Amino acid sequence: MKFLKHAATAILLSAVSVALYAQERLVFTPQWTAQAQFAGYYVAKEMGFYKEAGLDVEIVHPTATLTAINRIRDNESQATTLQLCQAMEIIDRGIPLVNILQTSMNNAMVLVSRRGKNPLTQKGERVGIWSAGFGQLAKCMSIKEGLDYDWTPFATNVNLFIKGGLDATLAMSYNEYYQIIQAGYELSDEEVFRFRDSGYNVQEDGVYMTVDYYNKHKEQARKFAAASRKGWEWAAEHPNETLDIVMKYVQENHIATNRILQKLMLKEVLSMLEDKLTGKLEFRLRPDMVKLASDMMVEYGMLEKEVTYEQLLAK
Amino acid sequence: MARSQISDYIKQSLSRKLSLWIVSFAALIFLISLGFMFSQSLTTVRREAVNRATQVLENTNLRVNSILEKVEIATDNMEWEIKAHINEPDSMFVYSRQILLNNPFLNGCSIAFEPYYYRDRGLYFSAFSLNDNGVISTTQEGNDHYEYFYMDWFMMPKLLDRPVWTEPFFDYNPDDVTYEAMIASYCKPLKDDFGIFIGTLSVDISLDWLSNTISAVKPYPNSYTIMIGEGGTYFVHPDKSKLFYQTIFTETLEKPNPAISELGHAMLRGEEGMRQLFIDGADSYVFFRPLGNTGWSVAIVCPESDIFSGYTRLKRIVVGIVMFGLLLMLFVFVRIVSKELEPLKKLAHQTGTIAEGHFDQTLPDDGRVDEIGQLSQSFGNMQHSLVNYIEELKRTTAMTASLENELKVASDIQMSMLPRVFPEHKDLDLSASMTPAKEVGGDLYGYVEKDNSIYFCVGDVSGKGVPASLFMAQSAQLFRVLAAEGRSTSDIATYMNNELSENNDANMFVTMFIALLHLDSGKLEYCNCGHNAPVLNDAFLDMKHANLPLGLFKGFEFEEESIDDIRGKMMLLYTDGLNEAENPAKELFGDQQIINLMAQAGKRNSSEVIDMIKAAVEKHRDGSDPNDDMTLLCLKLS
Repeated sequence: MKFLKHAATAILLSAVSVALYAQERLVFTPQWTAQAQFAGYYVAKEMGFYKEAGLDVEIVHPTATLTAINRIRDNESQATTLQLCQAMEIIDRGIPLVNILQTSMNNAMVLVSRRGKNPLTQKGERVGIWSAGFGQLAKCMSIKEGLDYDWTPFATNVNLFIKGGLDATLAMSYNEYYQIIQAGYELSDEEVFRFRDSGYNVQEDGVYMTVDYYNKHKEQARKFAAASRKGWEWAAEHPNETLDIVMKYVQENHIATNRILQKLMLKEVLSMLEDKLTGKLEFRLRPDMVKLASDMMVEYGMLEKEVTYEQLLAK
Repeated sequence: MARSQISDYIKQSLSRKLSLWIVSFAALIFLISLGFMFSQSLTTVRREAVNRATQVLENTNLRVNSILEKVEIATDNMEWEIKAHINEPDSMFVYSRQILLNNPFLNGCSIAFEPYYYRDRGLYFSAFSLNDNGVISTTQEGNDHYEYFYMDWFMMPKLLDRPVWTEPFFDYNPDDVTYEAMIASYCKPLKDDFGIFIGTLSVDISLDWLSNTISAVKPYPNSYTIMIGEGGTYFVHPDKSKLFYQTIFTETLEKPNPAISELGHAMLRGEEGMRQLFIDGADSYVFFRPLGNTGWSVAIVCPESDIFSGYTRLKRIVVGIVMFGLLLMLFVFVRIVSKELEPLKKLAHQTGTIAEGHFDQTLPDDGRVDEIGQLSQSFGNMQHSLVNYIEELKRTTAMTASLENELKVASDIQMSMLPRVFPEHKDLDLSASMTPAKEVGGDLYGYVEKDNSIYFCVGDVSGKGVPASLFMAQSAQLFRVLAAEGRSTSDIATYMNNELSENNDANMFVTMFIALLHLDSGKLEYCNCGHNAPVLNDAFLDMKHANLPLGLFKGFEFEEESIDDIRGKMMLLYTDGLNEAENPAKELFGDQQIINLMAQAGKRNSSEVIDMIKAAVEKHRDGSDPNDDMTLLCLKLS
């Protein structure tokens, strides 16, 4: 009798082990340090959505200087978030990528003046830009509007901006913008240029894989995208619980931020998920935005050739 | 209800009232004095706090500055050596190590160059030395994973073109997350001979000592110190969870707080000052000043309860003592005043006893010479006088009672002198009545039967009371005697006048109507001695001779008159108590009413006529007392 009981336990444990072993491992790297910008993925992980989909997802953040794309290129990560323009640029440089999930439906980039001016009047002045590779749209705008900004790459910009090392800086409406305000810097509408409202509304964050990896793991990619989307939808419905999850990641990664900033960020990021035309969370690339971005980047020399909607789409 | 009870309780006692007034006034004086004292103390304590906090801040600043200056001097000293050997990249490792050897208080040193400055060294060239608890290691720190030229410490001197202190930052070891050192870097731009930026010389210093130094600043038991960087980030704060993660403005993003925001901006502007505001759950004073040329600012937060704890304690004690003192004063005053007023209380009590009629009560005499003693003495005198007066009153009252008794007797005698029985003659109906106004009256009437005739009279003596009644008695007696002699009416009058005039020192007199009626013939002879005219049937008797009242002039000759026959006629004789009877409005009864009443006599007999007239007079008086004696005599001969 006793023997039978042990045998049953052994069989059960083996079954669990097999099930665990059966889960496919995937390293996912968001393109920035831990923050509410990636709330949907944290939720999917913490709420077990990935596990339910049979995936063993590990979220590994980049450092301020070791970028997500380097990790993809070196196959240290299999999926990463990238801004649309950034993804196009990488594709153009010869690393074929495919978009497996589009989260952002709007552009969140702003240009903030340090000199109390309208940024569109700051021709030739020193403007901060992320060294990590965002800001293609701003470069297009600088050329298109004839502003000829003196681009100054930075790892983090708030201290440079506050000390007056920059005349203006690019910022994300959900991140650096709030950091600047949190530093006691007061901004009027005049001093903030919003790309979304000025003919540059190109959607941003999406999840990308290399085409090679995608072609070999289509089912895995589909599952990851579906579970991530579920994470975002849950986050939109449960912002308070989501904030708790975000703070857990923030604290584990020793990120110099706080709950209030993350709450503001989450609210802004969730609002970016909404398509302004339909008022819904669409989770799709918009061909018009892809076309707009590609055309501009080709025109201003950031792309050798056009990157098309079809090219990006996961098939 | 309770309030009125308290009010009554106070009102009922002079000692309570007086004490309450005095204590209230004392309380007012105390209130004003203490208010002034506390207000002055408050200002002094506040000034003291400002001085103390300013002093502490200044000392802290001096200590911190002396160390920061050492860092700056060490960096400056190294700079010229670097410049002198700028073309020897490997020497940079030596210098970065050297500076740490020379200055053990430094944690690290980077001599970093712009990308490709040394072409043969590639994109990255940064000579970095680290002092790890005395063990100095030196490496080239730039690589694809650490693009130093995008870092704040490298970019700030480049962009600002001047030496600069970076914002402090955490340097935590991922393998040992419990250790978190706070580091700040002093960074100088390196330039070539043409003044072009070529790199940054940066030295790191652990700020743990700074944090400890600043945190130890504690001018008050519950005060604490904060330090913020140029972006408002907390680098020193008692709540460790805020360090590096929050700025002074963070909470205002969610709940706007203009006072905190204003404080933050003032600190960021590098101002020195003091603010009074509600921070971290307490009303506090915040004293702040910038820390050297770092761009950082230090503030001491002192809860008001701490600053003013001594003052508050003193205030509580003083207020307690004053309150206790006032209550004690009230109690003592009530007792003292009550004791002082005790004779007054006894006096009041004994006065009450005296008022109840106990005149033999002895008043307190404790030999006091003050107002209360005087009052007691005066009251004793008054009591004595009162006792005498009351004795006198008793005596007088007894006398009056005796006199009244005698007057009653006199009245009875007087009334007994007037006939109450009237002649019983088949043809004659005669009745009379006298109603005195006082106990003894001055009116009289009478009749005397003589043969087949009857004498009758009505008189009114001047004055009232006993003298009048004696005069009336004499007059009535004289009439009866003289009529009995069968004299004529004028003769009776003349004789009476002479008698009454004799020894009449009081000048009293009597008006009198004297008549003689012959019963068989109905002839009436009469002599009117100054008296009211009688009424015959419904008219006053028309008389030729009024004559004088009796008793005035001795020897006066009285005239008489006659009417041949009055049979069948009702005759009324009366005194002025009838026609001059007054009602409450002092209106007289009047002659006309007498005539009207007589006209209504009809078949009434004499007694009924008298009753009718008396009823009419009673009605006219309407409750007022009779103002004069009233005598009525009515007769009818059939």
